[in-house]
Order: sequence, then structure tokens, then C-alpha cells
Amino acid sequence: MGVWEMSNLTAKGIRKTYGKKDVLRGIDLNLESGKIYGLIGRNGAGKTTLLSILSAQNPASAGSITFDGRPVWENQDVLNHICFSRELNQMNGNNANAMKVKEYLRIAEIFFPYWDKEMAKRLIKEFDLDIKKKISKLSKGMLSMVTIIVALASKAEFTFLDEPVAGLDVVARERFYALLLDEFTETGRTFVISTHIIEEAADIFEDVIIVDKGKILLKENTQELLDRCWHISGHEEEVDKAAEGLETYNKERMGRSKGVTVFLKPGQSIPKQYDVELQKMSLQKVFVALCGEES
Amino acid sequence: MNEILTQEKSIYIQIKEMIENDILRNILLEEERVPSTNELAKLFAINPATAAKGVNLLVDEGTLYKKRGIGMFVTEGAKKTIMDKRKKHFYDDYVKSLLAEAGSLGITKDELIKMIQESKDGGMGNE
Repeated sequence: MGVWEMSNLTAKGIRKTYGKKDVLRGIDLNLESGKIYGLIGRNGAGKTTLLSILSAQNPASAGSITFDGRPVWENQDVLNHICFSRELNQMNGNNANAMKVKEYLRIAEIFFPYWDKEMAKRLIKEFDLDIKKKISKLSKGMLSMVTIIVALASKAEFTFLDEPVAGLDVVARERFYALLLDEFTETGRTFVISTHIIEEAADIFEDVIIVDKGKILLKENTQELLDRCWHISGHEEEVDKAAEGLETYNKERMGRSKGVTVFLKPGQSIPKQYDVELQKMSLQKVFVALCGEES
Repeated sequence: MNEILTQEKSIYIQIKEMIENDILRNILLEEERVPSTNELAKLFAINPATAAKGVNLLVDEGTLYKKRGIGMFVTEGAKKTIMDKRKKHFYDDYVKSLLAEAGSLGITKDELIKMIQESKDGGMGNE
């Protein structure tokens, strides 16, 4: 829609330490406007901490976050363009728990200068959400809906959603992806979405960011990443020959049969003359191959 | 255009092939507008950039062309171009794998030819 210029949200050398625990260990990341990013990582990898620091809800122990070169921390002009709709949690002593949904949304409306009241209303109706209920009394699915409504109606140029679909059933999840695409195609807002349900969201992400043990393991166009990942299987000897010299992960063996995941580097290909089965991999399988090693 | 996406191929390749299939089957006619990348993105729940990647491959091959401000259209003669291209790949895409499977099952070439000749499915007949 061209409401805003192309913007960049940039993290440089971000570290975060809680006591003796290093949660983020040097993050460099550039987010461009007009993209949907997927943020994936195992539990405890640092996804939520990263999102909270990017949105200045949490100070970094070291490093800087800038929005088109301007610091984000305590800079209201810049923060007006960023929304981090947190996963609501009834377990911790969150102030939100005592509030009714209505009150929580009212606060969001004050907080986000571009708040779209009509959209919030439409989504409440669509999700059939009872806004008179207290946050502490909501089901998991309803908590997710509140998070989604805040994110979408905030109309912030950079919007982060932390596990937005965790509590939703499969029909509601598909509805969420459709709503997200509607909003994205209409406005070109940037979304960063963290999720554990990788399989079904993979096709939505233009770029995927994989966080592992407090570091960015990979940030790449999702399709290009999938184009260079292959599963090779067949007779052990043939598989070994086909995969020779390639970057391999996750070797599995059963009798004479062998399977291996390969990541091709630019210019590399899998030689064709061997009698092996080549299969494309899903993002979920790629993620497991990269981060699945027990340490 | 209402096929379901699978895991076996890149999504943008599937989008490209679906549009080609629709042209081959007269679901999309020459000089007709094809759905926009945003429409495709919403229909398949995929990122618009991925849909655009598939559509752009067809533009590069001359199957589609862009009318500024209106959208993408099927080029005149696209159907024949797609048929010619797929005929060229027919041996690699179908015959090779057919022969490989026949080979591992011990079916001889003569038996295979006989099967094809006696088949009542598909093909254009002999006349």
C-alpha cells in the first residue's frame, strides 16, 4: 500500500544473560519490511527473549537494536511501528489475568497508535470470543485468539507473534493463516511468527530464521533452503558414493539400507549415476536434521 | 488450479505445473487472465513471493505475459509450446522410470510393448 517506506529492523551483537545463563549469545539479524518470517527453534533456544528484545520490552545485556538506524530502546516514535503480541500465560502472576478481554483490548487500543478498531471488532465476532470473560478464565484457544487480535489490529509495521497457533484447533489455525495472508497481501506489513507447528506454517514463510542455543543458526529464503536439502536412501554403498563430499546430517542405518540428509552448497549437486532414492524434505525434517542432535 | 500441494516437489514448481495443466486442459484459455499471485497465495495458503516465483518461471518461458496494471495473461500459442516441451521430456519423465520398474520386476521390453498395444487406456489410437 506504500503507507510506509522500506524499513529495516536490525539487531547487532545482541546478548542476554539471566544470572549465569546465557540465553542469547551474540545475535546479528536484519529484518526487512514486507516479508513474513518464520522463527523456529527448540524450547529454550531464545525465541521469545529475542522477540522481546527486538521490540524493546526487555533490555539486552549487550548489543543494539535499531529501526532504520534509530535506536529502538525508549524511543516511542520507533516503537509505534512495532508490536509484539505476547503469548498470554495464566500461570505467572501476569497483570493481564485479572482483566476482562474487553479491558485488555482497550489497553492495546491506547498502546498502539494505528489500532484498527473495526478489525478488532470483526475478529472478535469471527472467533466468537466473549469479551466479558476474564483472561484468567479463557481456554487455551481463546487466549491464542486474543493474542492474534492484538497482533493484527495493532496495524504495526513490524508485528511479532509468539506461538500464535499453539492453543488453536486445526480449523482455527488454517483460518489464522488465511487471515494473516489477507492482511499481508493488503498491507505488506512485516510479520515474524514463532511456531513449533512447522509443517503447516512453512509455506507461509518467505524466509525462515532458525535459532539454536541462543544463536542464529540460519536465515534463508524458505524455498531456496528446501531446494538444497535432500534425503538420499538406498543400498549403503550407493548412498555413501552419492553423498561423498557433501554436507551430511542425520545418518540412519538399517541392515544394508542407509538414509542420509544432505545440504547442498551453491554449485553442488548429487551425482546422478548411483542407484539411490532422492526425496525432497519438509522444513520440519530439515529443522530436526539441523537441531535434533541431543546434546 | 484446485489441486492439493504435495511434499514431493517445490511449491513454486507445483504452482507452475498447475497453471500449465490448466492450460493443457482448457481450464485456462489463451489470452485469458490467470489468477494473481495474491489470489494464488490465498488459495493455497502460501507466501505470495513463492507464488510469484512459479508465475515468473512461466513468464520466462513465454507461457504467460504481463499486461501492465491488469495482470498476467496466457500467451497465444502457449498450449502448443507446453505440449512440445512436455513431449520432449516425456522419455525422461515417464518412459525411463517405466523401464526401470519393468527391469527390476523382470518384465521384458516385448512384454511391455504388448501391454501398451493391448491397453484400452489413454493414447491417441493408431489411426
